[in-house]
Amino acid sequence: MKSNYLLIIFLLLSTFGFAQSYDIGGVVKETTSGLPIPGVNIQIKNAPKSTVTDFDGNFTLKGVSSGTTVVFSYVGYKNFEYKVTGTKTDLSISLQEDSKQLDEVVIIGYGSQKKREVTGAVSVVDTKTLEILKPVKIEQALQGTVSGVNVTTTSGSPGAGLDIRIRGIATNGDNRPLTIIDGYVGELGLLNPNDVESITVLKDAQAAIYGSTGANGVILITTKMGKKNAKAKISFNSYTGFQETSRKLSTLDATEYALLLNESYANGGKSLPFPVVSGLGKGTNWQNEIFSKSVPIISHDLSFTGGSEKVTYAVSGSHLDQEGIVGEAKSGFLRNTARISLGADISDKLKLKTNVIYTYFNRKTLPEGGNASVVMNAVNAPSTLSPYDANGDYTLFPLSGLGNEMINPLAQTANSYNDYNFKKLSGNFGLDYKLFKGFVVTSTIGFNTSNSESKSFAKILNYGGKVFDVTRSSVSQSAVNNNDYSFDIYGTYTKKFGDNHNLVATIGNTIFKEYGNGLFATGYDVPNNSWEFADISLTRGAPAAGIIPVGSYVFDERKLSYFGRVQYDFKGKYLLSAMLRRDSSTKFGPGNKVGYFPSFTAGWVISDEGFYGESKLVNFMKLRASYGTLGNDRIGNNGYISQLSGEATYVFDGALVNGVATGQIPNPDLKWEEAKKFDVGLDLKLFNNNVNIIADYFIDTRADLLILNIPTSGINGTGAPGASSPTVNGGTVRNSGFEFSVDYKNKFSENFSMSVGYNVTLLKNETLSTNGVPFISGGSFGISQLPPARMEVGLPIGYFYGYKTDGIFQNQAEVEAHPSQIALGAGAAPGDIRFVDINGDGVINVNDKTNIGDPIPAATMGFNLQFNYKALDFSMYTFASVGNDMVRNYESIYDDANHLDYVLDRWTGEGTSNSVPRVTTAATTNKVFSDYFVEDASFIRIQNIQLGYTLNSNIAEKIGMSKFRLYTGVNNLYTFTKYRGFDPGASNGAPIGGGIDDGFYPIPRTYMIGLNINF
Amino acid sequence: MKKYIYITIATLTMVSALTVSCSDDFVDRPVEYSIDSENYFNSKSEYDKALIGAYDLLQSSFINVLMGEIASDNTLCGGNSPTDVPGYQQVDDMIHTPVNANLKQLWDWMFAGVQRANYILEFKDKTDFVGKNQVIAEARFLRAYYHFELVKWFGGIPMNGDKRFTPGDEKTIPRSSAEEVYASIEADLIFASENLSATPSQAGRATKGAALALLGKAYLYQDKFTLAATTFESLISNSPYSLVTDYDTIFEMAGENGPESVFEIQYTDVEGGDYGNLQYLEGNVAVGFNGPNSYVGPFFTSGNNFNLPTQKIVDAFEAGDNREAVAILDMTAWIAANPGTSYTKQNEDTGYFNRKYIPRIRSANAALDLKLTNPNNYRAIRYADVLLMAAEAFNRSGLDDTKARGYLNQVRRRAFGDTNHDVSASGAALTDFIWAERRVELVGEGHRFFDLVRTGKAAQEIDGFTAGKNELFPIPIEEIQFANGNWAQNPGY
Repeated sequence: MKSNYLLIIFLLLSTFGFAQSYDIGGVVKETTSGLPIPGVNIQIKNAPKSTVTDFDGNFTLKGVSSGTTVVFSYVGYKNFEYKVTGTKTDLSISLQEDSKQLDEVVIIGYGSQKKREVTGAVSVVDTKTLEILKPVKIEQALQGTVSGVNVTTTSGSPGAGLDIRIRGIATNGDNRPLTIIDGYVGELGLLNPNDVESITVLKDAQAAIYGSTGANGVILITTKMGKKNAKAKISFNSYTGFQETSRKLSTLDATEYALLLNESYANGGKSLPFPVVSGLGKGTNWQNEIFSKSVPIISHDLSFTGGSEKVTYAVSGSHLDQEGIVGEAKSGFLRNTARISLGADISDKLKLKTNVIYTYFNRKTLPEGGNASVVMNAVNAPSTLSPYDANGDYTLFPLSGLGNEMINPLAQTANSYNDYNFKKLSGNFGLDYKLFKGFVVTSTIGFNTSNSESKSFAKILNYGGKVFDVTRSSVSQSAVNNNDYSFDIYGTYTKKFGDNHNLVATIGNTIFKEYGNGLFATGYDVPNNSWEFADISLTRGAPAAGIIPVGSYVFDERKLSYFGRVQYDFKGKYLLSAMLRRDSSTKFGPGNKVGYFPSFTAGWVISDEGFYGESKLVNFMKLRASYGTLGNDRIGNNGYISQLSGEATYVFDGALVNGVATGQIPNPDLKWEEAKKFDVGLDLKLFNNNVNIIADYFIDTRADLLILNIPTSGINGTGAPGASSPTVNGGTVRNSGFEFSVDYKNKFSENFSMSVGYNVTLLKNETLSTNGVPFISGGSFGISQLPPARMEVGLPIGYFYGYKTDGIFQNQAEVEAHPSQIALGAGAAPGDIRFVDINGDGVINVNDKTNIGDPIPAATMGFNLQFNYKALDFSMYTFASVGNDMVRNYESIYDDANHLDYVLDRWTGEGTSNSVPRVTTAATTNKVFSDYFVEDASFIRIQNIQLGYTLNSNIAEKIGMSKFRLYTGVNNLYTFTKYRGFDPGASNGAPIGGGIDDGFYPIPRTYMIGLNINF
Repeated sequence: MKKYIYITIATLTMVSALTVSCSDDFVDRPVEYSIDSENYFNSKSEYDKALIGAYDLLQSSFINVLMGEIASDNTLCGGNSPTDVPGYQQVDDMIHTPVNANLKQLWDWMFAGVQRANYILEFKDKTDFVGKNQVIAEARFLRAYYHFELVKWFGGIPMNGDKRFTPGDEKTIPRSSAEEVYASIEADLIFASENLSATPSQAGRATKGAALALLGKAYLYQDKFTLAATTFESLISNSPYSLVTDYDTIFEMAGENGPESVFEIQYTDVEGGDYGNLQYLEGNVAVGFNGPNSYVGPFFTSGNNFNLPTQKIVDAFEAGDNREAVAILDMTAWIAANPGTSYTKQNEDTGYFNRKYIPRIRSANAALDLKLTNPNNYRAIRYADVLLMAAEAFNRSGLDDTKARGYLNQVRRRAFGDTNHDVSASGAALTDFIWAERRVELVGEGHRFFDLVRTGKAAQEIDGFTAGKNELFPIPIEEIQFANGNWAQNPGY
């Protein structure tokens, strides 16, 4: 307060200096909400006189001379200029929010930087985007909104994981980016999206400040904090949604199925399974049976934020309850979060910031992926079978013709009993201390501590001789406790030399330790064969002698890092930065623990050169470049020593005996994987800042890849149970590409504004070396076929390796004219697939396998649109992926399985089809992995559309609210694709063997209605 | 004053932080609850535990039996389609190449067995205890067993004495010749036969008899008939073994580790498993593979339709031979005798199944996946086999045809239940009788292909067999590539 008196006195004194002076005053409000803004800086242009708005947004400024301009500024809002013409004390000034302002501050890791001065490839997703997209998990908000980032779902089931890939797949190990939440290592998927203020993605060498952990890119999350001198704001957001499957596959109805099966049996020389087809009708549509409609999803969150002059706070809680479109509560996900964030200026020099988040979730799952999934059983189940028998019990599927794995998917759903609970407390506690002018010491402790419990119950079941029959009940439980903490201490020195030289230097140290344990056990003979009694505490059965029904693990991994960064600019026009980080990690053995990661960035703000004068066309232009080395240490623990972790179990005297054996072959030479990242980019603002363009070209070369279980000669004993090949530094993969994004924003009138954004990422992936191994294979297709995916020099990582097809043999003459295909297992007949003799040696055999596609999209795009018209707002987010291939591997190999309806276009005689082979129960090679199974999975998805209505703020205020908005929207409205499977955007995430569709649980389409209320 | 307090706090924080974290000692931490494999073998119990590890890989030799039988003229591959397990299909048709996932498994698993035996032998001098020779002898028996399998399939292989291989050895250690491998096998088995107990402390352990039988067999495979004859004779003359009267009971659960069992690989169905990691299984995978698909009916259960006996082997049984009904399940007859029985005919269905090793109905407590957890022990060396090998050794060495005939007829008398079917031939004619007897006595047990190869008859009996090439299987392509020119491929591949 003392300073205010001084100010007033100063102001009073200053009035004497002017001949003609006026007083102005009034209130400053936010344009959209109409809320008063406290703490707005009000400054007379080119003069030292200034003031700030009070708690209620009021201000007065006395003795302002006529014709002067008064500038109202507030962080995150556009400056407003007011020209004084006379005394006016009832001004109502509206400040417009401007999150994309050039002065916007961007978090860059151990510090922040003005956006205009950022020299790395950095993208930001703000809270507005999150509010519109309503992601259940934060990752979803990165799809299509940020160039260079691709998000794939591993499943559409509630709570399923998502994989984020920044600038492609660079390693055949772990490709997940590092996530830093308010400075500490955290987990993206567990956050309440409404707690997030912004998401910053570091895509290039800018991430080198994170050294050994930054090779896959870094995602920085800033959570919401209260604002100083702000009135308490209460915000309540809620929506209810109804979900349904976004896709069903067209399978054959009972009559079509019976006819097809008859044809197939007849072609195979067998008697007809359906001598009478009439009367079968449509039969059962199994997908209609398993997919529920109007499946609920409910989300609520409530937050309180505010602040006084010295203290800011934000407190929030959220609740999400989602059922699955398959199995409803049987695949449900429930998440509760609570958060407290507090900031305090303890003194002028000491600031405190703390943030604690509690997360709880519960997830139940159904069998997914592979030929035993509920979804796949529904696709392959014959439509002639009915779900229930005469007694109302689930029907048993016959063994004959369907194999011993296909079971009634409804029974499978009903008999799935599992539960997973996860609790996590995470947070940080940080102090900033201004040691002397320009030098701030920051010290932060971040932590995560989580406990999870899982339980699954194997009920005594009879599916009629299938592999899922259970003759003895058991319940398996686990308890896992994982912890980590990081301790950062760093100093930041900011200094201006002369008028033009600015320097920021940062130096610091981070220690990181993760540790934990897990305990697993199984109990046998569950009382009453019932989930209600399924707990080890109630089981009394012992396993067979020699079976060890318990297990456990412990781990303790650490990292020690030092880092330094110097940022220099001349007049804000020529920008340079250099970083160096030294890491040491327990993942590597003696002599290899330490790695150094240098990087450099530079920028040139061309528009400041005055080449363009005060051009209206080019408002801002910056050229930037970066180059640096980052690391990756995401490998299994203790890979450099040999442990007795193998399995040694044999039978003596008819009972199991357990011994010891070595596990993974050690590699004492393990060292960091290195990513060399080059980026050159251009930032442009055109047409009164209405158009914003960002373009980047990048080359990301990953060397010394940490290849997990690199294939090694079998003489080393890698084939033994529990043994495995060592992890070896070998191989190089290069991702190069181009990113381009353009945003257009304009406010055409008070009533109408719009913004349009488009971004595209072009990506080329190539394996440059595999360190002496000719290739590394992975993935699986069909049953006991060779792995279909490979990593090989000159080709994209994880490309599909199989036979190339050349249509269908139309007649016997064509068969005879073609090289023999017998080596694939059967001779060809008319109607069979013709394989290409790639090497031209006159026979079709394994040597003719070749590159038949890859799962890496050549281009991904986002197109986003927003309109505001009066009280209405509309938004649409779309995402497109072009050139990604997917392998159709969800079709059953069994003779009596149902088919997708594309088989209706099959070959039935000369000239009938040149793409789909004949059906027959006889031996053919049509199921050998070939490009017949590789489909173009390019797609465009309308991820979200939303229409909102905001009540006029005057009316809202009357009912005690500062904002009231109602909206309705649809998530995953429609996907345009030629792909036949459930989800062209899904992947199991494996670098080698991804893009193989084993029957993904489809993503839901969600119809939502919701409201946002602020008090 | 306040200022100083803050500065003090800040300084203290920094100093404490730096002392805690500044040193690289922070990342030198012990590995908790872990036993370093190079610091083991400190007691008898530790040797015993490592020995169990060496036995473990015997269970993976199911693939040798399954694929070996498929390779022969006894059976067709089968499966659900012609592309079901391409590696087996190609071996069946003798069109296999170095690109073969199943030959690679066999290579890996047998070498894993060698490696685990050598883990013990590498440390054999570390700790002394009473009964150590028994442990070392068992380890050497196991190494010989794995080496013998490898030399049968691939010919000469790399060896590294008593030391384990380490990555990189494949580029420097050459393939030993087959003779060198056999020399190692002989040395191991001579040591084993001199140090192993005649009676096993536990069913399943290697015995003196097992070592002698395997030694004799190794001699026989090298045409060292005299050595083979004396070795077998020393076994037979002090034999604790005898032929089981009822041939049928040998292959049922009750017959396991019976008086005819010289060496038997042990399996159980109490532990579950899946197709992903067959080497972990405690069940006999071959049995599930051999079973009829979707079988519903008495006594047997369902399998994967592999290893289907041909009409040729069925016809090889003489009339009155009790073994035919035990060895061959004739589905047509079985279904006729057991109304309501059914199975799904799949690829290459012959109507016959390898009855010795197809799944039986199991106890309610059998663990899943039932196709993979069949508890049927593999009777690796039966006394009948020993008698027939002895007969062959005495006959082909020219030492004693009478003795040879005697051993042969012991086997035949059990088969026919009378002496009317005794063989009275001698010389080369007797040799043919012995070979014919081996074929029907041991059908379905994985010996036929190697018998044909070592007797030079493979080309005439096996469709697609190329003499000078198919006697050995190719070194897996991956291994050739790992060796980077160090190992030559077998001829013809």
